[in-house]
Amino acid sequence: MISKLFSQEPETRVFFATDIHGSETCWRKFLNSGKHYEAKIMVLGGDMTGKALVPIVEEGQGRWHATLLENRREFESEDEVKEFEDSVMRRGYYPFRTDPDEMSELSTSEELRDELFHKEMLGTVERWMQMADEKLDGTGIECFVSPGNDDQFEVDEIISSAKRVRLAEGKVVEFDDFQMVSTGWSNRTPWDTYREEDEEELAERLRKMTSQVTAPPEKTIYNFHCPPFKSGLDEAPEIDEDMRPKHGGRSIVPVGSKAVREAIEEGQPGLALHGHIHEAKGNTRIGRTLCINPGSSYEQGQLLGAVIDLDGGKKVKRFVLTNG
Amino acid sequence: MASDTTTGSGAGDLFQRKATGLLRGWSVLDGFIYAAFAINLLTLGLYIFSFAPFIPDGSLIYAIILSGLYLVFQAVTYASLIAVMPRAGGDYVWMSRVLGGGIGFVLAVTGWWFILWHWVPIYANILNIEVLVPLATIAGFGGIADFFGEPGGMFTASTVVAILASILISLGMRTYARIQKFCFYGGVIGLVIMLALLLFNSNADFVGAFNSHAQDLYGAGSNAYQQTLDAGSVKGTNLGALALGPTLLLIPMIVFFNLWSNWGATLYGEVRGASDFRKNIYAMGGALVVTSTVAVIMLLLFAKTFGWDFYYAANNAYWGGNGPISVWPYPGLFAAFLFDSPILQFILVALLALWFFGWVGSVFLSSARVVFATAFDRVLPEWVAKTSRNGVPYYALALMLLPSIPISYLYAYGENFATYTLDATLVIATTFLGSAIAAAVLPWRKPEIYNASPIARYNVLGLPLITVAASMFSIFLVFCIYKWLTDDTYGINNGQSLIYMAILYAVALGLYVAFRLLRRAQGMDLKMVYDEIPED
Repeated sequence: MISKLFSQEPETRVFFATDIHGSETCWRKFLNSGKHYEAKIMVLGGDMTGKALVPIVEEGQGRWHATLLENRREFESEDEVKEFEDSVMRRGYYPFRTDPDEMSELSTSEELRDELFHKEMLGTVERWMQMADEKLDGTGIECFVSPGNDDQFEVDEIISSAKRVRLAEGKVVEFDDFQMVSTGWSNRTPWDTYREEDEEELAERLRKMTSQVTAPPEKTIYNFHCPPFKSGLDEAPEIDEDMRPKHGGRSIVPVGSKAVREAIEEGQPGLALHGHIHEAKGNTRIGRTLCINPGSSYEQGQLLGAVIDLDGGKKVKRFVLTNG
Repeated sequence: MASDTTTGSGAGDLFQRKATGLLRGWSVLDGFIYAAFAINLLTLGLYIFSFAPFIPDGSLIYAIILSGLYLVFQAVTYASLIAVMPRAGGDYVWMSRVLGGGIGFVLAVTGWWFILWHWVPIYANILNIEVLVPLATIAGFGGIADFFGEPGGMFTASTVVAILASILISLGMRTYARIQKFCFYGGVIGLVIMLALLLFNSNADFVGAFNSHAQDLYGAGSNAYQQTLDAGSVKGTNLGALALGPTLLLIPMIVFFNLWSNWGATLYGEVRGASDFRKNIYAMGGALVVTSTVAVIMLLLFAKTFGWDFYYAANNAYWGGNGPISVWPYPGLFAAFLFDSPILQFILVALLALWFFGWVGSVFLSSARVVFATAFDRVLPEWVAKTSRNGVPYYALALMLLPSIPISYLYAYGENFATYTLDATLVIATTFLGSAIAAAVLPWRKPEIYNASPIARYNVLGLPLITVAASMFSIFLVFCIYKWLTDDTYGINNGQSLIYMAILYAVALGLYVAFRLLRRAQGMDLKMVYDEIPED
């Protein structure tokens, strides 16, 4: 009885976080998380890129204005603008300096906005990879990153080019004697994002990936951005056709993937790591598999995560969800 | 120097791309509906108003207005907490993140879990007096009505409440939200009919109807109205007079009804900006103000049609046990007496009963959330957060349902146990006080999170709005707790009850310490849960 309460000595400590959506603060914290939690493996689930561009409009004579969270702000010095840019980046948005003419063009041209988004998103990921290379060099910590459904495909190339970060998407990666298979693809969402597909296609994708795993289930990790259907880790506010939460956000419905659930039920890996649904923080078991969605509070600059000790036993017992 | 103003709309202020989770604003009306359901005038309101004769010099109407307006500070406090820490899930998470895991656990577990076992018989009592007994009486099943007035009936009703709440939660939030909305609109129809009956009938109409039905249904004498006045006459009752001291004394009583607007808060989704903050205030504060207004209109109509002296006397006589009718003087039933047809009477009471059925799930709902949140923090064991394949949180429900049954049994049959539960509101108010203190100190305890929030620029006299609102709400709660603990009027400063409640807090503390030690022995220091990772 007593032995059931205590796992064996951990062999590998993993820190997992996800859905940081462009938050500069969360990325900096993530880079420090290995050392902070004494984890030798760091895994960042999908959705690294931000969701919004915040224009800082030059009015002339050294004056600027911008609006964040519906608060309009006016600036009269470079320092004030810089401070504002930091607060925007902290929240996961991309600040950019512009003028009224360019604002007018951007407001009317979706193409221009898309171009700007691409430039800012990819530029940020590139800068983050450089930061990682500097920060993780010589630490002995292994860092895996897999993009999510909200991240465009070019992100993969940038991650691949990093020295201290390994792209995990679509691959079986190994650390110690564990194997991890990852994907940021999800089932269909109402937002028509970059990496989403029908359940049948997703099931096929997962089948192809998991068939490459050679480790026993207890030494296997599925890092699937999308949580399994009806797992409690996939509960999101129900929305109407106008994209408004129904019943004041009270009506919560499962939106996870049936294909992911089937893959977990069939493969029974020791651990399954998920994200995607920010409000569905939690953990559950599907058979022997410990499934975790640490949730996300990227806008607050809080890095929600999970510290998991892997001992290769039949069940992962030692873990904690964190609020870094 | 930078300056700030708040824009009414985010349109054109930033460019968003298509990305998961980006939603348009939620409906304030929906938030309002659920907050109005929580400040349930028909169930909690009418029940607690019946105790007003214990403070006869106080003005019930002014007490409702004053507390309703003051508690807008509560709405601002909770709206602020949501704006700063959205998707956090409520009191436990806010307190544990800001004040510490131990404080958060002990206050949330007692206030949102243990004490709600004891609210089951309170809900059951309301089910009895407002639903089962009146409906059985109208339908001519006097024996059934008598049964529900006895301990066996009380225990049966408690079991019904516990099972009903469990079923509603098992159905999932989607179904429960729809049931609540149906009950709200049905209940509003009932309420409008009730108020119309009171408006369009005279006191003489009511006296005739009451005397007739009291005789037919309850075997009272031919002039039960006068007998009630004689039996329950209360000196000092004055509808319009504002005696400030006694009126303030009524407020700690009335919070049994109007302290719950925060149930209407929308906890999910990304906070889009200052407008979402204001929406939560409008939903919660609006429900407070509208419900208080309807309460005042209702009481004025009671005064007009029942007679204010009669309303007080009926309640006073019931609690004194010397009235001509032995059942609780349910104003909904009294209004229904103004219909001649028993069918119409039944329909009206049944429509008003929807206020109960839409509300009953709340007895376990927050408890389930707290149990889950504490398990995700690894304080409670992992298994308590298990769900079935259909998402039913069966262990969490069992942790609510199973203890509530023996507690209901003791409440119904035990000699003194009912007195132990007198502090049921006090314990929740203490939890709210914890959240209010967390809110007040949040700008200093979590400055980076606070400064990144849409409310960081709202100040009052140089102090953060959240601090001012939370401090005002804290003062209110401290006043109520002080009066509950020191004034015999409320019947709460009962030594046995306080000891019992202290035991509940001690159990919660013991659980926290035990699990923290266990986790440490297992190699998982729970300190990691709350530790902030350095950024640089």
